[in-house]
Amino acid sequence: MSLLPDDATRDRLTGWLADRAGARSVVIDETRLLAGGAIQQNWKLVVRVDGGPHDGVQEWVLRTDAQAVLSHSHGRLDEFALLKAAFAAGVPVPEPLFSCVGQVVLGRPYFVMRLVRGTTAPRRIVRGETLGGGREALTESLGRILARIHTIRPGLSGLDFLPPPPRAPMPELIADFRARVDADGTARPVFEWGFHHLEQLDVPTDEIVLCHNDFRTGNFMVSERGVEAVLDWEFARWGDPLADIGWFCSKCWRFNSPHEAGGIGSRAAFYRGYEAECGRRIARDRVQAWELFAALRWGVIASEQADRHVSGREHNLELALTGQIIPELELDILELAV
Amino acid sequence: MIEPPGGPALLDAARKTLLEELLPALPPDKHYAALMVANAMAIASRTARRDRAGDERIEARVRSLTGSGDGDPWRAFAAAIRAGRFRRGTPERAEAYALLRGYAEARCALSSPKALKRTG
Repeated sequence: MSLLPDDATRDRLTGWLADRAGARSVVIDETRLLAGGAIQQNWKLVVRVDGGPHDGVQEWVLRTDAQAVLSHSHGRLDEFALLKAAFAAGVPVPEPLFSCVGQVVLGRPYFVMRLVRGTTAPRRIVRGETLGGGREALTESLGRILARIHTIRPGLSGLDFLPPPPRAPMPELIADFRARVDADGTARPVFEWGFHHLEQLDVPTDEIVLCHNDFRTGNFMVSERGVEAVLDWEFARWGDPLADIGWFCSKCWRFNSPHEAGGIGSRAAFYRGYEAECGRRIARDRVQAWELFAALRWGVIASEQADRHVSGREHNLELALTGQIIPELELDILELAV
Repeated sequence: MIEPPGGPALLDAARKTLLEELLPALPPDKHYAALMVANAMAIASRTARRDRAGDERIEARVRSLTGSGDGDPWRAFAAAIRAGRFRRGTPERAEAYALLRGYAEARCALSSPKALKRTG
């Protein structure tokens, strides 16, 4: 697989990069496909920029769509807008640089951001004792970062592509995910038990913020210094901030670690960081409901991913195996919905 | 009828060869795919050996609870739960919960016995 299959494509991309970077010229010395991403491709670019504010050797990442695009994720340009909003809010993200709307340069939209170094490997992160200054420090800083994401509120210009803010997040999510279970076609009595339990709890929402919706270990880059970048913004939507807190703390994203906050540290440290940053207290009595919703949401997504293989649309062992985590998620659901 | 070793035993032997002989010889970027193959083979082997009589017993209990007749008992069960038939305070709630637990545990024993041990 190549980003630049011929000289004409290379010329188009270097010309476009030079124009956007305000440079006399740009030379691409290296393109390399980075690991991960069934939905998106991330290409590392090492470029020599001549002139302009980016003058010198730069390491950038070009992010574009892979062939299979998940219907519930944003396009690349929307993701670029989300990164810009997060960057402006002081959230550590790869600095968004330039975006290309048209198909002329590469045949599909893409954007360019600054390369960030660190690890996203969940098992390395949950086993690491020194990453990000140690477990508790890292966990507290993750709480602060999530609170900073939640400072982004509806009405911010540039995020008009997001669906309108929900009036009642939990009931609307229950309806949406039930419909997805129905569309998927497989009978899921344990999911129904979980949804019914949540419905009976009648969970209220105090405020609507930008939810990352996939804020969990594995989706942020960590180094010895701390959290370098929050990644994977494609599921971001307006919603209840507790949805992100429940997702981060849910058992299914602890990677078999005993630490309740993302498998990394204590829940107390995470809450402390969050509350110190935003100045409001987390409604602790509602978090468990959102953890239950997290298990349900992941279960529905896993079922949909497996169906892409089972239906014959896509032959992919990883997708097929994703469905095999459902029974384990069902046990989590039943534990939380007694 | 079939020539021994049967399907599950063949899968186990093939998995052992994959993990002990092939995996160390593969380049590191292929290890993840090889481990996925090994996992798939283990699940297939456990599924082929499963206690089918146990499946039938739990399905019979679900049929009896939901009165689902010859239809898919799990679909009928799911619909009854959504309709609120086992809400808190109803006499059949404990039985419904126990059946769901048995259903999840039986499938988890095939997909991830380690996870079952952790939650059990």
